[in-house]
Amino acid sequence: MSLQSLLREKRVLVLCGAGGVGKTTTAAALGVAAARAGRKVLVLTIDPARRLAEAMGLTEGGTEPTPIPPERLYAGTEVGPGRLDVWMLEPRIVFERMVRRLSPTPEAARDILDNRLYRFLSDLVAGMQEYAAAEALDGFLEEGHYELVVLDTPPSRHALDFLEAPGRLARFLDDRIVSLFLPEEKGRGGRLWRKTSQLLGSVLGSIFGESFTQEMRAFMGAFSGLFSGIRERAERLRGRLSAEDAAFLLVTSPESASLQEVGYFRDMLHERRLPFAGYVLNRSWAREDGLAHPEALLRHAEDEAQRGGVEALIHLARHEQVRADAHRGLLSLLAENLPTGAVAVAAPESGSELEDFGGLVRLGEALATS
Amino acid sequence: MLDALWERRALLVSGKGGVGKTTFAAALARAAVASGRRVLLAEVEVSPEDSESPSPLASLVGVRSPSARVSEVSPGLSYVRLSAIEGQRLFLQEVLPVRLMADAALRTRALRRFLEAAPALREMGVLFQMLALVRRTRPDGGPLYPLTVLDLPATGHALALAALPDALLSVMPGGPIGRSVREGLELLRNPTLTGALLVTLPEPLPVSETLELATAIGRHRIPLAAGVLNRLPEKPFPPEGRAAVERLLGTHGPHQGQRALARLDRAQAAEVRLASNLPAPLLTLPELPEHGRELVERLATHLTGAPS
Repeated sequence: MSLQSLLREKRVLVLCGAGGVGKTTTAAALGVAAARAGRKVLVLTIDPARRLAEAMGLTEGGTEPTPIPPERLYAGTEVGPGRLDVWMLEPRIVFERMVRRLSPTPEAARDILDNRLYRFLSDLVAGMQEYAAAEALDGFLEEGHYELVVLDTPPSRHALDFLEAPGRLARFLDDRIVSLFLPEEKGRGGRLWRKTSQLLGSVLGSIFGESFTQEMRAFMGAFSGLFSGIRERAERLRGRLSAEDAAFLLVTSPESASLQEVGYFRDMLHERRLPFAGYVLNRSWAREDGLAHPEALLRHAEDEAQRGGVEALIHLARHEQVRADAHRGLLSLLAENLPTGAVAVAAPESGSELEDFGGLVRLGEALATS
Repeated sequence: MLDALWERRALLVSGKGGVGKTTFAAALARAAVASGRRVLLAEVEVSPEDSESPSPLASLVGVRSPSARVSEVSPGLSYVRLSAIEGQRLFLQEVLPVRLMADAALRTRALRRFLEAAPALREMGVLFQMLALVRRTRPDGGPLYPLTVLDLPATGHALALAALPDALLSVMPGGPIGRSVREGLELLRNPTLTGALLVTLPEPLPVSETLELATAIGRHRIPLAAGVLNRLPEKPFPPEGRAAVERLLGTHGPHQGQRALARLDRAQAAEVRLASNLPAPLLTLPELPEHGRELVERLATHLTGAPS
């Protein structure tokens, strides 16, 4: 299988990778390639670098996906049937919608949204981005408007944070656990339960102070009506992500490709029965460019400055060769022991080219055809 | 410039993944030890579930099993993997009247899950363990670890850590949490005690992101100590050589070395842009062929030998 067939056949493409490997750029380029191949595509991204956002024509804080104008998407060719929308996730908006959708009444939703604890929690970025990405992905898949959703997972040190965070929340939302934190009239009986609940009450009271603990318990009480909905959705998303039409790609770069982490990623996916689709080695010089060696330039050099310049270029070419060889070695290591259907592709280094949309088109084509 | 760094209590190393941040943090710690400081090299655990996950930083300094207990790596250098649950335990021990109660509380599955799931509480645990370590003293009253070098997680999470104290103070201005948060801020916002170092690469996107990060860190009033431009390629051209070769290439078309040449140009532009826009001094590190621990040693030697 090639990356191209993934782009044609899958419904969900999840791009994982540590921060700084060019994950967002890869997600955007793959989305562009799939849309130009005729599909209706959504790229979901979090916090892209400003220049990349500008290249895609994204506005910050948009409440809906932004369509890329077809003339732009198809620049240089005839406009086809594919479409591309891009949305820069706003965790705040995603959560607000979730609360509104899952609350039994609009008043109940307002009680939660106006609670200052709710605002405090949704203001904190860490962890919440992962929940928001999962929630948004599930929403778009449920709605069924797009044929392919490409998810750029939140920036993290660890390629797997995205997989971990929703599970952590779901475990906490286990009824037996949560009920211990609810105001007493909402909880249930049992001696052990009462004892544990009292212990928690006094621990939380000493840490947070009595009034804050009351406030927190009241908030949990208001929020608890949503828990079964949140859990159901987490289950549903897990189902969707382990389905045949989902694919997980690990994006890495020659500098940060630690083979240890790469192997760890594959094992973790396997453990969770999530479909591993391969690796994208970003910003690599693995491809041959078929150019002549700069020694050929020496006979054209007319003066000292030109000779010195060519000597320096020869020096650079030697370095380039060493790097390119290293990148090729890395790519073939990645390609070893791939499961059937998985890919290992090298994305060329695009330098400063990516500052315009054309750069994304070229990168997408390079990826799809390798 | 480095001597001024060693005088502080905490150096926070941040930057995107893949820029060599962790290697730099290890080299910085080694260089500080070589200059006679006792150093604690710290990092933040990835997640509470997999305390077994690999730690590149630990293996760079030769620690076999990274954990939340401080271990001495070599004379003058100690290592710790900061853990939320450890910080939370220390915190509970401090605020609860009976020590047994803290232990009992942490054995409760419900509380552990609560502490793991609530994002703010995890970061708070990490912050608290770090504060506790910075506060630790020797029998003579001097600090046990005069200098802590903290390898912060990737940009997004580092900013969340930076944003946390203000957010916490806004909902819980009083009580034990408010007290320790305020103590934390006194350390973090004092430019004679703390400094952030932002590591980046000489490429357009990383430089843009670093300038954005510097602004964001400034918003949280965390003092910026330096920018670190890593893997700066050597400049092989004699004066006039670059322009001369450009003319030749213009006439005879592209040759091998094209990619390296473009990379060199980007690196030079990046250095100029960073130096003129970053509100702090810029430290540059050469691109070196070594990897892993050898690279740490070379960079540390480079740092200690660098003119101040």
